[in-house]
Amino acid sequence: VPCVSGDLSKPTNVTFISINMKNILQWNPPEGLQGVEVSYTVQYFIYGQKKWLNKSECRNISRTYCDLSAETSDYEHQYYAKVKAMWGTNCSKWAETGRFYPFLETQIGPPEVALTTDEKSISIVLTAPKKWKKSPEESSISMQQIYSNLKYNVSIYNTRSNRTWSQCVTNHTLVFSWLEPATLYCVLVESFVPGPPRLTQPSERQCVSTLEDQTTALEVK
Amino acid sequence: RGLRRCLMSMNLHRVEESFRGIKTAIQAKDTFQNVTILSPSETLHGTQPLDVCCVTKNLLAFYVDRVFKDHQELSPQIMRKISSLANSFLYMQKTLQQCQKLCHCRQEATNATRIIHDNYDQLEVRSAAIKALGELDVFLAWIDKHHGGTSAA
Repeated sequence: VPCVSGDLSKPTNVTFISINMKNILQWNPPEGLQGVEVSYTVQYFIYGQKKWLNKSECRNISRTYCDLSAETSDYEHQYYAKVKAMWGTNCSKWAETGRFYPFLETQIGPPEVALTTDEKSISIVLTAPKKWKKSPEESSISMQQIYSNLKYNVSIYNTRSNRTWSQCVTNHTLVFSWLEPATLYCVLVESFVPGPPRLTQPSERQCVSTLEDQTTALEVK
Repeated sequence: RGLRRCLMSMNLHRVEESFRGIKTAIQAKDTFQNVTILSPSETLHGTQPLDVCCVTKNLLAFYVDRVFKDHQELSPQIMRKISSLANSFLYMQKTLQQCQKLCHCRQEATNATRIIHDNYDQLEVRSAAIKALGELDVFLAWIDKHHGGTSAA
């Protein structure tokens, strides 16, 4: 149903939220229309191509986000997206994003973190985050394959002394030695790529205790 | 003296930072979303290691000799950032001159450069300059990728 364009104010804060190349377009309702039954329609544009393209799953929707990961999966291209609001026979003008460049703008999610301990050390094994993929059957691509200079900021916190160490590493295994036995340590890891600043997401905090010092344990016997 | 010795070990972060300062304003002035200047899938994606030096040299010259010269800017803040970018590009050119002997220009590199100049010539010069400036992030990301990132900041 054609609508009268421009009678409604535009959605606001139209932006891409991108993590590991999962690219979600999101926006706020038009000013003054929070809580009103507004629907939205989204289109996207591949920079350098000819025309705006529809996203059928995001036509006349009531939610304020739209997953455009599949449409923007070639991360070396650049994109625009726009959304308009509709309410009855009125609709807004299009509200458009700036030029979105996934390769430079996607957030790099945290790695998987595996911890093993012994008396005075904690071994950490990191697995690089995976790029978003269309379907589970698709083979996984590690973000390391996209960003060969991917690094990790590893922080380890001694819950007894309240002291924290941080170390920036590129390899996927590291050992923190000279720790105190029978002490709870908590580890946090963040991935990052040198270059333009990106939002980062630290891993879940994982805590593990170093083992009892066997020498003192024997003496006690 | 391998090419790696003369790779640009300059602080690309500062160049990227200068660009980030003008990206939104410059890209907003670029109203021709259906054309690109760099056309990365034809010119930059899949650059062979042998062609990296020549493509870098040619693109630096493209920006220094055409884009920065053709662009006219009213905003003093943006003008300052663009001047900083231009100076960085001049520095990168000088750095690359150290490996003139290694900078062979094969047909592939020459073709890529010609596509970029042809794209530029298709547009009115001010629009072309705005568009090429707005695509600097693509070229900087390419440099970062092919010149092994940068030295520590």
